[in-house]
Amino acid sequence: MLAFRAYSWFLSRRLGLALLTLWGLASLVFLMIKLMPGDEAQMAAGADASAAQIEAVRERLGLDAPVIMQYFSFLGRLLRGDLGTSIVTLQPVLADLEKVLPSTLELVFIAMLLNLAVAIPAGIVAAYRQGGVFDATSRVTAVMLGGMPAFWLALVLQYVLGSVWRVVPISGQQSYGMASPIVTGAPTLDALMALNVGAFFDALHHIILPAAVLAALFATQIFRTLRASLLGVLRSDFIMAVRAKGATARHMLVRHALPNSLNPVLTLSGTQAGAMIGSAVLVETVFARQGIGAYMFNAVAQKDAFAVLGSVMFIGTVVCLVNLIVDILQLLVDPRIRAAQLGSQGQ
Amino acid sequence: MKTVHPLPDEASVVPVRQPLITVEKLTVDMPLGRSGSSVRIVDGVDFTIGVGERVALVGESGSGKSLTARALMRLDRLAKLSGRVDFDGTDLLKLSDRDMGKLRGSSIAMVFQDPMSFLDPLMTIGDQVAETLRIRGIGKAEARKRALAVLDELGVDRAAERLDAYPHEFSGGMRQRVVLAMALVGEPRLLIADEPTTALDVRVQDQVLDLLDDVSTRRGLAVLFITHDLGVVAGFAERVMVMYSGRIVEDGEVASVFAKPSHPYTQGLIKAVPRIDQDLNTLYAIPGAPPPPLARPSGCPFHPRCDQRFDRCGVDLPALQPVGMSRVACHLLDGKGA
Repeated sequence: MLAFRAYSWFLSRRLGLALLTLWGLASLVFLMIKLMPGDEAQMAAGADASAAQIEAVRERLGLDAPVIMQYFSFLGRLLRGDLGTSIVTLQPVLADLEKVLPSTLELVFIAMLLNLAVAIPAGIVAAYRQGGVFDATSRVTAVMLGGMPAFWLALVLQYVLGSVWRVVPISGQQSYGMASPIVTGAPTLDALMALNVGAFFDALHHIILPAAVLAALFATQIFRTLRASLLGVLRSDFIMAVRAKGATARHMLVRHALPNSLNPVLTLSGTQAGAMIGSAVLVETVFARQGIGAYMFNAVAQKDAFAVLGSVMFIGTVVCLVNLIVDILQLLVDPRIRAAQLGSQGQ
Repeated sequence: MKTVHPLPDEASVVPVRQPLITVEKLTVDMPLGRSGSSVRIVDGVDFTIGVGERVALVGESGSGKSLTARALMRLDRLAKLSGRVDFDGTDLLKLSDRDMGKLRGSSIAMVFQDPMSFLDPLMTIGDQVAETLRIRGIGKAEARKRALAVLDELGVDRAAERLDAYPHEFSGGMRQRVVLAMALVGEPRLLIADEPTTALDVRVQDQVLDLLDDVSTRRGLAVLFITHDLGVVAGFAERVMVMYSGRIVEDGEVASVFAKPSHPYTQGLIKAVPRIDQDLNTLYAIPGAPPPPLARPSGCPFHPRCDQRFDRCGVDLPALQPVGMSRVACHLLDGKGA
């Protein structure tokens, strides 16, 4: 009961902090839109609109009010979940996002899984056998992958795997005629919900290459961070104590060394989740996938203020959410953080 | 601190014990960075510990005493070992990693210096003590029961409630009991205690020593006690081995070594222990410092600091030779007649 109260107090503090962050982000984005050169009403009305039409648009969008009033009305709408109306699609931004986001989230989610599934085992083996053949080759690979522009890696993989060896499709999200009824907007998830195994594997087949490209850069960071952290932990005294108990290398690594080196990796993967959505822009373009990338790109190009704002706010929310999850995970892993954050009643 | 054991009289001459562990020509080489070259930290050590015997291994820091102890369990992954470590008829240095792992914790266990840094901060005390048993496939409930029994035996208050507590919630003395419980729960026959009291304050030191004394007596446990504190040795061990620069220079019954140390280094160490009846202004210290393993002097490694050296000491390395009931490595004992 006490533990529950400590946890809910911790959560409400963190949520408050997240809301404060989002408010700051919203203000910053609003400021940027106002500081951009060019007239929003003019852009919204179109290039060949008459002066009267521009004024009508200005009035309709509330752009004639003082900036401070615009700011407050915009915050008020945000609170009601109204991200405004896109001046390009003439749809509510939220409705637009609902269409494009699931596909991006799916890409980012699978990329994150790939990232961790490759980088963590590689980091463990490299650190445990420091200076060995695997350590050397994986470090060189990490430097090369980390220094490689994502679009170039994407093009090379498209050429080799998609065109020469023909093992994966080059672009798109599913084969022609394989579309499942749209429920969530994420192809693999929709296929799963339609219980269409063929469509599910088809969508997976399409997502694997873009997800791998997206994961590559981030995996090198996780690999290096985990390797460095583990090397420190492996030198610590309690690892020797665990070995003195007769533990196998595997037991020592999985039960002791890994949990103790996970903290920096958790923090890093939290920031990576946000950065991945940003990088998705590039990957989605190269692989001709739908998603927030293309949507944001168009919004910025056409000075679609509310669309930009909505996308940025959304990415911000995801980052805040992921960081909240990371905070909770750290709490679960480390009893010392638990004691510090939850107070003594949170044991 | 406990009193020095009384000198044995004729009636109680120490019985010859059955050897538990016999170490022959043990060397430990540690690699130097990634250069591929290495440095010999432990340079040919021979000794035997009998069943249930308590032996102290004494030396300054850097003398190689800890690495010797770790070599017995092959705990340093980087160390290159040679020689023989015969435990109960098997040469530990020839075992596969897997078989060595089976011996650790169940036949030979270790207690370490700083109990905080030797406990995993993320795992509960109960799990860490029970782990020694869990690794060997003992069920969760049974392992927990036995962990609790050992913690109780070692005087951890309210042990049952505190099984699920974490190391940071324990005091230094209690942590050392936990570390000791971790070592004892597997019911080893040899316990290596690597300066188990050094990181504790004096009052707690005494408690832990008494505990170690009780437990090893009750269980008939052989103990190799590593320390630089001769006061601790006098109260606890039956035999003392003095190490200097990677070699054993003197090995004998505690009482006789303290009464009549043969090696000038041992004499210096004993002179350096502060005594209650001593004028503190004249506290003795052996001049100089032990040589780094990469720059050992020729001949006897102690000769530059020795106040009884003569010409032979800088040339020949003295071998460890029997002298009465003891063994001593010093030219004084044959060169000038002991």
